[in-house]
Amino acid sequence: MPSVTLKTIRDQRRSLALWAVSILGLLATYGAMWPTVRDNTSYADLIKQMPESMRSLFIAGAAGDLSTPQGFLYVELLSFMAPMLVLVYTIGAGASAVAGEEERRTLDLLLSTPVTRTRVVLEKFAAMVVGTAVLGLAFWASLVIVGVAANMSVGAGMAAATVVHLGMLGLVFGSLALALGAITGRVGVARAVPVALAVLSYLVNALAEMVGWLARVRPVSPFYQYAGHDPIRHGLYWPSLAVAALTCAVLVALAVAGLRRRDVSG
Amino acid sequence: MTTGTTGEVVIQTAGLSKSYGRTSALVDVDLEVHRGEVFGYLGPNGAGKTTTLRLLLGLLRPTRGQARVLGLDSWRQAPAIHARVGYVPGDPALYDKLTGRALTRYLGSLRGCYDGDGSLRGCYDGAHVAALAQRLDLDLDRPAGTLSKGNRQKLILVLAMMHRPELLLLDEPTSGLDPLVQVEFLAMMREHVAEGGSVLLSSHVLDEVQRVADRVGIIRAGRLVAIERLETLRARSLHRLRAHLADGVSLSEFAEVPDLHDLRLRDGVLTCSAPQSSLDALVKRLAAHEVLDLACEEAGLEETFLTYYGAPTEAGASYAGQAEDA
Repeated sequence: MPSVTLKTIRDQRRSLALWAVSILGLLATYGAMWPTVRDNTSYADLIKQMPESMRSLFIAGAAGDLSTPQGFLYVELLSFMAPMLVLVYTIGAGASAVAGEEERRTLDLLLSTPVTRTRVVLEKFAAMVVGTAVLGLAFWASLVIVGVAANMSVGAGMAAATVVHLGMLGLVFGSLALALGAITGRVGVARAVPVALAVLSYLVNALAEMVGWLARVRPVSPFYQYAGHDPIRHGLYWPSLAVAALTCAVLVALAVAGLRRRDVSG
Repeated sequence: MTTGTTGEVVIQTAGLSKSYGRTSALVDVDLEVHRGEVFGYLGPNGAGKTTTLRLLLGLLRPTRGQARVLGLDSWRQAPAIHARVGYVPGDPALYDKLTGRALTRYLGSLRGCYDGDGSLRGCYDGAHVAALAQRLDLDLDRPAGTLSKGNRQKLILVLAMMHRPELLLLDEPTSGLDPLVQVEFLAMMREHVAEGGSVLLSSHVLDEVQRVADRVGIIRAGRLVAIERLETLRARSLHRLRAHLADGVSLSEFAEVPDLHDLRLRDGVLTCSAPQSSLDALVKRLAAHEVLDLACEEAGLEETFLTYYGAPTEAGASYAGQAEDA
């Protein structure tokens, strides 16, 4: 593994381990809740009685059938909690990749070696991909383990597909944070803008069920690319993954171009 | 001390300028540094020394003009320059959790082995790193964040020299070092030059520069106001003279002595500052009188520098303040 990537991952090793343990803990909690929810129809009734707007907002439009593991996991975990957790990691990692080093003034140290600015951006992106993969693996393993233990299994394959879509969602916003950090050198901007856009894109996807004109822009939303085709039931959806991957590629290219053409503050 | 002014050019700038909006940090700097030379780059803080060094390293992009280091364009070919240059930043940050050894390993791994002729230049050389650390009396096993200011600075010097660079770009390299280590570092710089290396030594402390530099560039408010050989600067260096004369003497007797400064006479005691070149004429005038006491000492380049290049009030005042905390 290249040096900058390796160091970035090493710096995150404790925090990544903590993430993994927390994810397992979260899934275990859902596993403990699952029998109660499954056997109690009043939860399902509650969701049915919600106004449609609230239902689509909080459950992102999916048919929340709480008596199946897929429906339960979707409503409890995948519609909001899991994306939020992954985005906290990727946006943080993307923002600190270049802008974080610059604000701590260690970017000078890196860039006064023969390493090119292009390589720094690419290696930082690679580190973010590895970190996201670690989180994804933790999600996948937790889904499988808790699935077996709590009789809540969705199948290893479907769990993997869900996690891949989740990871790509994270990487899109992480790449945006990386690009903004590389272009502006400011951590604040690199964090705030992706968070705002993530909220916006969540809303677009959620409200498109009800608001007609939003349905047309919905495919642009990374949240739609993540959940629109319900990977926990239907597996990978390649067109969405391709769009997300392309978005990442464009953003990383912008990050490279941005860092290459500007002054590095000391 | 070598005099390498006729050697290969290792740093060359032409009209090098850097502005931030309407603020000019550096204006039309033309500079040449040759192989085997220690070039002192002198000026008060904020004069543009750091900006110059960061432009030479391609960390900043020139607004106008061009800089070439080791024949390579500073902006477009920065990584190739970095392979052959050691940089000591003026206000450096380190990865505080890494030990000195881990830092040298990490940055060493990024350096890789770049040299085409099969030499070790650029490769991580653990024995060399250990030797440098030992010379500077630095413990490589402590995390950078726990080091004192002086020890941090030593670590930065090791990081700048560990890959045996051809050229050292040093921004206030001895700040925070105790005097013994300063002496050791100056010796290392001389060895570096004796082996064919070159140094651009930026400093606001004249004393440091006059101990090693061959030529001195003086920068003020973003402009390079003079480049002098150190001998020239020394010849101009002022001598503070104080003579107690027994008989009557008048100031007019000294009117023809060239370049006298601060000439005063009180109760038969004459004081003045004179450059080396005026001493002969001055002493001959004094000899016409009965001399009770005579004291003459070199004022140092500090005062010389201020006399010839300093803006008399503000620059002088801020300069003195900075020299004190150095």
